[in-house]
Amino acid sequence: MFYLKVLEITSLYTILVLGIYLMTGLTGLFSLGQGGFVSIGAYTAAIVYMRFGLPFPLALAFAIVVGAVLGFLVGIPTLRLRRDYFLLVTFGLGEMVRAGLLYLAQLTGGALGMAGMPKKVGLPLILGSIVVITFITYSLKRSRFGRDCIAIRDDEMAASMMGINVYAHKIKVFMISSAITAYGGALYAFNILFIEPNLFNWLESAKLIIITFVGGLNSIAGVIAASAIYYSFGEFFRFIDVWRDVLLAVVVVLVIIFRPGGLFQGLSLLPSKLKRKGR
Amino acid sequence: MNWNILLQQIVNGISLGGVYALMAVGFGLIFNVLKFSNFSHGGVVTLTAYIGFFLSKYLIANFIVTFVLTAAAGGMAAVVIERLVFRPIRRKGYPISMLIVNSITVAMLVQQFFAVTLGANYYSYPNFIKETALHLGNLTVSKIYLLMLGISAVVLGALTYVIRKTKIGIAIRAVSSDISTPSLMGVNVDFVISVAFFFSGVLGGITGYLLGMTFTVDPFIGSMILKGIIASIIGGMGSILGGVIAGLLLGAAESLLIAEIGAALTPMVIYGSIILLLLVRPQGIAGKITEVKA
Amino acid sequence: MEILKVEGISKRFGGVVAVESFSMLQRENQISGIIGPNGAGKTTVFNLITGAASVDQGRIVFMGREITRFPAHRRTDLGIARTFQNIRLFGNLTVLDNMKVAHDMKVRYTLWEEMLRLQRVRRQEREIDEKARYFLAYLGLDSYADQKPQNLSYGIQRRLELARTLMTEPRIVLLDEPAAGLNPHEVRGLMDTIRKIQEENALTIVIVEHHMELIMNICSLIHVLDFGKKIAEGEPDAIKKNEQVLQAYLGEEV
Repeated sequence: MFYLKVLEITSLYTILVLGIYLMTGLTGLFSLGQGGFVSIGAYTAAIVYMRFGLPFPLALAFAIVVGAVLGFLVGIPTLRLRRDYFLLVTFGLGEMVRAGLLYLAQLTGGALGMAGMPKKVGLPLILGSIVVITFITYSLKRSRFGRDCIAIRDDEMAASMMGINVYAHKIKVFMISSAITAYGGALYAFNILFIEPNLFNWLESAKLIIITFVGGLNSIAGVIAASAIYYSFGEFFRFIDVWRDVLLAVVVVLVIIFRPGGLFQGLSLLPSKLKRKGR
Repeated sequence: MNWNILLQQIVNGISLGGVYALMAVGFGLIFNVLKFSNFSHGGVVTLTAYIGFFLSKYLIANFIVTFVLTAAAGGMAAVVIERLVFRPIRRKGYPISMLIVNSITVAMLVQQFFAVTLGANYYSYPNFIKETALHLGNLTVSKIYLLMLGISAVVLGALTYVIRKTKIGIAIRAVSSDISTPSLMGVNVDFVISVAFFFSGVLGGITGYLLGMTFTVDPFIGSMILKGIIASIIGGMGSILGGVIAGLLLGAAESLLIAEIGAALTPMVIYGSIILLLLVRPQGIAGKITEVKA
Repeated sequence: MEILKVEGISKRFGGVVAVESFSMLQRENQISGIIGPNGAGKTTVFNLITGAASVDQGRIVFMGREITRFPAHRRTDLGIARTFQNIRLFGNLTVLDNMKVAHDMKVRYTLWEEMLRLQRVRRQEREIDEKARYFLAYLGLDSYADQKPQNLSYGIQRRLELARTLMTEPRIVLLDEPAAGLNPHEVRGLMDTIRKIQEENALTIVIVEHHMELIMNICSLIHVLDFGKKIAEGEPDAIKKNEQVLQAYLGEEV
């Protein structure tokens, strides 16, 4: 029973990590505001279901759509900024979401949060979601989308010289990431059954980024592995749970210095024998 | 509108703004030299806030001594961080994103470390100043706030002098504009970078001390760095004067807004304005746009 | 036929005038060159033509279309390709992927199809793969397909940059100091390669270079820049004897 819980939580967080993989791992966009999308997804689904009585699948769909639309609206002005500024602006936006959720207490329950959601989300849905998201991510990575992401990350200017519309591409990446992240938030709401505005702050967003780096920027499997280890570790070793973050930090610093491809850099989803020629 | 209250808010805000300015400059210094956003500065602020507390509580209850020691500790911490965490990355020629990620990690490390070890307690600096307020006409100004403002002004003035007139200051500026050429002229670039980090760390130490003195010391005090970073961006990354002006403005604006519309909405207005500003003028108030060389 | 017409373009960076009133006309099947002392503004001219920088004044007309305000990626899609002074290959992509990226703008599947990896996607990917391998082989680089650029020698990297331009289906190719860092033997190989590419693909080529042997041998038209201004234009023989050109280069190695 306990192990089930651990698996559920670990998998939920892994969805969030996968959510930023395309954006941060492949394209090099750092956002400290992903927590905002988690919250938005969670609250959208919860409000749609609880306050408007719409069926659960629709609530999930709403969360995804709102996530994507918000990603578009946020991305349009901010993705023209340089990397550091984008990082900070997204932090600001995350904070704005938090403040907004607190302020709109009539709708969201304010600081008290929202509770009472039925447990609609169990392990099958979570794991199934991971499979689907991984498939989509992998498909994108293998084709033009992924190549262009990596090119943009490596050298934006050269990428545009090769005919890539860098701005448009970044917007697409951001929208997809936001949609996945919001979806993860919605799942969270109906699994953990309690949400509040401080659910996912900038530190948690930072952790997602860090785990992505540890797992390996070019390896989806690596990122999943790193996420699984980190989040389950915390559940199993609750008593030193707090030291987990310190340990993570030390590991990350070392990994970046000595093994910048990531701890699991060689890991790939399909064993090399199964891979087609030319990837 | 009650002008007295308004003025009061502004004065309070400007004093806090002085600290924001300190943070902005400390952050901007590294941005100039190594061209990346050094989030570990927040970690230095947190660390020194604690150090300052322990020094003044358990060692010597003298303001000046503990202040100087804390500032020095900040400088050394920053140098150590540079040596251990940033230099290896620089040496191996990794992309800047790695530096950013590692700097965030260090900030997280410091915060979580203190959350784990000392987080449960709230620490307050001993009171150095009798009579906490000063009365100027109709205004009541907290002495602590005045002190913050005064120290910030002095420190920033000194820094400006060092950067403009001393040899090391010129060296720092040289490395800022081009990281490889100065070494061809016999400048030890690594040393200059260490010095820049030392200065930045001293600023961080002063910030940590002042913040710890004004508010209580907790592991999240370093998160204030984000305000400093915001000030740095508004002012134009890399411009000391811009950072100062922006810091003061931010402090005053924040203070006014909280009084007028409350602490809940204030972040929204501030962040919203900053986003608008960046969209219209991405280089901030005093910064320059750099074009990428092909 | 005119492929590229540049009319009086100017660019300043801060207080420095990088390029002033530069004009040129490039016809099809032509190889022309831009030379000048260091800092004369040659790379800036390329940046302005390709859209890496925007002109302060002037017009750029490509194949009869005014592209002065077009973004860089659109110009590439229309057929303007370039190589860089400092090689700018994508370090985290294999050689093969570096090639594919240059063709990605022409790809005809949608994002949704991509996410689901439909038949159409797989088919087009196969086509891109074949095309990339073809051009790699064309320049003798096929054995390097799965390697990362940083493992290749400098000369090979330069050739890869050349091969990459072909993937963009260009009408005009701008080469920015393609001979930099090459030894005399490699330079001669480069000259042959440039001629071959030009003939077999009906391209028009503009080269920025310091290497006089290369320029004088393969260019039919040469423009000379000094301090951002054009000081001479003509055939190689005329340029060699031009007083102003010689003066501009006085003190510089020719």
